Amino acid sequence: MVSEVSAPPKSASLVGALVGNNQIVLVAALVVICVGISLAVPQFYSSANIIAILRQVAMVLIVACGMTMLLITAEVDLSVGASLAFVGVVAMDVINVTDSVFLGALAGIAFGALVGLVNGLIVTRLKVNSLIATIGTMMILQGGVFLYSREAIQNHHHLPSFVDIGAGYVGPVPIPVIVAAVIFIASYVVLRHTTLGRYLFAVGANEKTARLSGLRTTWLKLFAFVLTGALVGVAGLILGSLMNAGQPTAGRGFELTVIAAVILGGTSLSGGRGTLIGTLLGVFVLKVIDDGIIVLQWNQDLQMIVPGVVLIAAIYLDILRRRADAR
Amino acid sequence: MPQSSSIAARSGSQVTDTFATLGRRQEIALVLSIFALIAFFSFTSDYFFTVRNLTNVLGQGSLVMIAGIGVAIVFMSGEVDISVGSLQAAVAIPLIEVMNATGNLWLGLAAALLLGLIVGVINGYLSAYVGINSLIVTLGMLFILRGGVYLYTGKTAIPDDAYLESFFVIGNERFLGVVPYPALIALILLLGFMYVMSHRPFGRKVYAVGGNAEVARLAGFPVKRVKFTCFIISSVMATISGILLASRLGSAVHLAGIGFEFQVVAAVVLGGVSLSGGVGSLLGMALGVLILAFMSNGLGMLDLPTEWQLVITGIIIIIAVAFDEMKRRRAG
Repeated sequence: MVSEVSAPPKSASLVGALVGNNQIVLVAALVVICVGISLAVPQFYSSANIIAILRQVAMVLIVACGMTMLLITAEVDLSVGASLAFVGVVAMDVINVTDSVFLGALAGIAFGALVGLVNGLIVTRLKVNSLIATIGTMMILQGGVFLYSREAIQNHHHLPSFVDIGAGYVGPVPIPVIVAAVIFIASYVVLRHTTLGRYLFAVGANEKTARLSGLRTTWLKLFAFVLTGALVGVAGLILGSLMNAGQPTAGRGFELTVIAAVILGGTSLSGGRGTLIGTLLGVFVLKVIDDGIIVLQWNQDLQMIVPGVVLIAAIYLDILRRRADAR
Repeated sequence: MPQSSSIAARSGSQVTDTFATLGRRQEIALVLSIFALIAFFSFTSDYFFTVRNLTNVLGQGSLVMIAGIGVAIVFMSGEVDISVGSLQAAVAIPLIEVMNATGNLWLGLAAALLLGLIVGVINGYLSAYVGINSLIVTLGMLFILRGGVYLYTGKTAIPDDAYLESFFVIGNERFLGVVPYPALIALILLLGFMYVMSHRPFGRKVYAVGGNAEVARLAGFPVKRVKFTCFIISSVMATISGILLASRLGSAVHLAGIGFEFQVVAAVVLGGVSLSGGVGSLLGMALGVLILAFMSNGLGMLDLPTEWQLVITGIIIIIAVAFDEMKRRRAG
């Protein structure tokens, strides 16, 4: 149980990788949930609803890609929800001032990356535990966004291209889904097929060994923090665009959804173990359940309870299975 | 290893141990910060340094202090508990509902404690015996309890219709007209648990288990049972703070305690209780609570937007932990 395989085996086929993890269980759960809901409510598999689910998945998945890498390096970022709201406000403000969506988007992403950089520096230079450090920056950002603007900042110039970021389509596919897909594939390639990806696993599995082997562990962790921050910038732009405003109260609890999805996907909180395919499945499971509760017209408060139960149950099953394997 | 030497410090076998003096120095630093804060805010506001206001601060800090006792003990055992905010809201429901139905305070308290115990047993069982990371368990519990509260209340408050005098008194009145009852309860619990943590075998077991679970297990400590007990203590403490909050609000409020877990964690780490387990003291935690309470009270009196409190608290936490870490490295 102690010595888990730290990095994914290089030569493993896709099927082999799936069987070797809890991903088969997630796929099965996803199929059962989808079939169950579809039988009860046929409009679940209408194209409008599927697109709605995909758009929800996209927002979470974008940040979850960074969070997966961060957890693999054995760090965590709880400030992503607070940062998400701040990004939207900053981007909207810059757009209103400069009348340029491009500059606004750039400012939003740069702001997110800056938050990531600050988090990373606090963790790697000041050696503050990342859970505490990012609770601290979460508070600073939550307070800061209200000091910055008490009300939602509207899209004063009514620039349609800003609305397109979140609500636009390329053919039948929503733009956020395309953005999420590109980010997912890029992250997947980096994590599985580059030395950088292997180094991230190495740092998380055993930081001291990695350092003694000559890896620049603080730079690697800093990279994961900044990447996560920049991806929060991208997701914040999409959220701001969907609301067509910078909303200071947005993003409450977003950090918990992202972390729940990543952990559900089999990434370990103690670092060195995790896959992006698992994260993808984790996001889908949570968001399909979310959507199912709406189309089934169940009480929406179940949207908080069910993910909590699913999260604990999934980890419980995982531990039981690993114990059975060890026997 | 810092952990093993801090265990030695606890047992008092090494008088010259650097960590014992470090710990004491930290508490002195915290006390000095409190004096500095009081001096500063007395200067900025005439009302700050009055008996009425200072005791008010104690009353406001007491809920964090009570829950902080439990969370600090869980931290010391090397685990975390972030479900206390949701639990605070959840226990108010059986409390108010049972009191409304029976008109009996004790039955209401028993119902609230029962829920707290159940949550503690679940958190403790899943974390200590099953071995699920306690951050995940209590994160899940945070969701489940908050969702349960929304579901049950339909996102409104359930008012206290029993109007029991004794229930009103515990959260709102003052002992001898001076000390708020929540502060008195917090003080009694604090002293009791300080005694347990430094003079009873259980306290030593918690430090040993948190310092190095594997060594503690080999030394014959019942690691799982100790951790399990810590989670139950934490849930019971959160329950008590939830009861006092419900008395103060006069109802079970669905939004009660949102973000409370972060306030508690902030106070605990500010007080020098490490997230990695095995170090820290309840006295330090209590001083951390007081610093944050004085800060929030004093800043409230300056004409600053209230959000500054969040920002400054966040900065203080980071600086405090960074400073702590620096000292530890220099000493080690």
